[in-house]
Amino acid sequence: MIGIIVKKELYETLGSKKFHISFAVCSVLILLAFYAGIRNHQSNVERYEAAKADNLRKLEGLKEWHEVENYRIFLPPRPLESLVGGVSNDIGRTIVIQRGNELEAEGSRFGDDPVFAVFGFLDLEFIFQIVLTLFAILFAYDSVNGEKERGTLRLTFSNPIPKSSYILGKWTGSFVAVCLPLMIPLLIGCLMPPVLGVVLSGGEWLRLGFVILSGLLLFGAFLAMSITVSVFTKRSSSSFLVLLVIWIFAILIIPRTAVVLAARAVETPSVDELAAKKSSFARQLIMEDREKVDGYRGSGNRDMEVMMQEFQEFMNGIQEERRKKTDEYNARLNEERRNRQIVQEKTAFGLARISPSATFALAAASLARTSLDQKERFLGEAGRYQEAYGRFMLDKTGIASGLRVIRISDGDREDGEVKASIDPGEIPVFDFHEVSTAECVKGSIPDMGLLLVFNLAFFALAYFRFLRYDVR
Amino acid sequence: MESENNNEMSRTAPMLEAVNLTKRYDDGVLALDNLNLRVFQGRTYAMLGANGAGKTTTINLFLNFIDPTEGEARVAGIASHRDPLLIREKVSYVSENVMLYMNFSAVQNLDFFARLAGKSKGCGRDECREVLRRVGLEDDCHDRKLRTFSKGMRQKCGIAIAVIKGAPAILLDEPTSGLDPKAAFEFMNLLDSLRAEGRAILMSTHDIFRAREIADDIGIMKEGRLVMQRSREELEGENLEKIYLDYMSGLS
Repeated sequence: MIGIIVKKELYETLGSKKFHISFAVCSVLILLAFYAGIRNHQSNVERYEAAKADNLRKLEGLKEWHEVENYRIFLPPRPLESLVGGVSNDIGRTIVIQRGNELEAEGSRFGDDPVFAVFGFLDLEFIFQIVLTLFAILFAYDSVNGEKERGTLRLTFSNPIPKSSYILGKWTGSFVAVCLPLMIPLLIGCLMPPVLGVVLSGGEWLRLGFVILSGLLLFGAFLAMSITVSVFTKRSSSSFLVLLVIWIFAILIIPRTAVVLAARAVETPSVDELAAKKSSFARQLIMEDREKVDGYRGSGNRDMEVMMQEFQEFMNGIQEERRKKTDEYNARLNEERRNRQIVQEKTAFGLARISPSATFALAAASLARTSLDQKERFLGEAGRYQEAYGRFMLDKTGIASGLRVIRISDGDREDGEVKASIDPGEIPVFDFHEVSTAECVKGSIPDMGLLLVFNLAFFALAYFRFLRYDVR
Repeated sequence: MESENNNEMSRTAPMLEAVNLTKRYDDGVLALDNLNLRVFQGRTYAMLGANGAGKTTTINLFLNFIDPTEGEARVAGIASHRDPLLIREKVSYVSENVMLYMNFSAVQNLDFFARLAGKSKGCGRDECREVLRRVGLEDDCHDRKLRTFSKGMRQKCGIAIAVIKGAPAILLDEPTSGLDPKAAFEFMNLLDSLRAEGRAILMSTHDIFRAREIADDIGIMKEGRLVMQRSREELEGENLEKIYLDYMSGLS
């Protein structure tokens, strides 16, 4: 019996103008999202390669390693970022590496090209979150009360059909009727990366598959919700209005409110406050060091080379001590802030998960590696690289960091030989270690599970209510 | 011998029977008050009455769209609220405004409702066309979407659904309301042929003349009660319109 209802829903939906128009719009948007995403990724790769080359070009011709300044590392672009933006466009994609300096990611896409921040990008996340949820409402807001209004429900139930089979068939039929055709543009979209020259790894394909699955779960949740509202309201016009309000809350209000509430509940010092504290502490240390420098007395050796050597060692000692103190202080402040941020994020995300669309956004971002974790991971990787870089530079220059005693020369050695340029190829390579596919999928499972729960909960509401529904 | 007894039973036992059927809604309104009526196979029963007399409530009770407060609405001896799915196998229903799936053609609608009625393979294309022809729908409209159909054509389609279900009882709720005289005449002819096949037909209507023309038994309902019930033979030579108006105005 369920099969008959499913088949009817399929025929009815596929034969409707509403479906033809929405399918055409959705197909165009999906294909555009894939195309724009791939082109965007290719452009990001070009920028990335150009920035890396420029970074090395700046080192060309340098004779001394201590002349190396503003050496940068870059966050490599990944194809899925362009298909599921998440916060990837807000994350700084480059970090200046210097021994002892505080790491700060800068050069975000939205920062560099603010025009994109105005309306955002057209990506799969947008399509699933905005377009498909609206379509779910559009297709199911009158699924039960509309049939009652039209009079087909009476005729249907004058036949020996159990209500449970009917409502199950309704949900399944509506879901399959919309999702199955949408698989066509999605599959065509999936063909675009290889056709346009972007190679996705097996893990990326798997994660993309899970993103689509999450999107379908979100669609299913909104569909079940629409059927539920349609069962609980008498008129289809009322159910449409109710669903529109729910949609606005789910998509726009709940996630934003969750962040605001979390910010109120867990106060986190701002970056500026932190910077002021760090700066004040640094000033205090500098004052202390200045006193130490003022009181500096060398060994009394009059040889210029020895004097310079001694003073450099003294300065290195001061610098190292100050760096340690600064690092410890900054690390403590950063950790305190980060801990508060983590609580704040957890609170915000926990509250936002009331909304299926926020749950989807978190699952998709986790799968596409475009969640907030990516920024932390980039900074963490940069921190590890900074240590390796620091050791390398210490090895090359013999200088710990900061102030240096430099003897200015004309670039030629005293023995008359021209000094060779440094070889930038010797600098350790920054290799960004991504979160593994298994971890990504594992991280998204709670949210995908929650989406499934939304599906089941909304459907259960519709189901039990419909068992007592007056079909007249 | 046993088969003969069964045949005898089917001739004598009513296909549709209301026994002390009463319905009081949650808001206290008494929609139906102790209704007793019987419709036998091969007979048509017309319920006449003003709006709110309880005609549609009676049909809703036979279909178990609502539960009775007291009494029983029986189909083939089975109380509808005891086994709704079973009784729905035995009745076909045609409403005042037959509303089918507008994106489906007549054939597709017929096929869908045939499957719902329990025909696992639906109705074959030829069978559908034959039934549609029988109810007076020409070949050229069999594959047309229902949204292009007039009300009369939709009513015919509705009766085609009832025919293809093959149920022994048919419930009709104001089936000729809004039909033009020609369509109503054709519709009544069709009902007549269904009755001749042995179906039990219970029909609610405002149309005294059509009722008189087709019904074997006529009941007049007023404020939830069956105030008069006579057979065609008993009404021979009497002015049904006058009787109806007398009952409505309280003179009888």
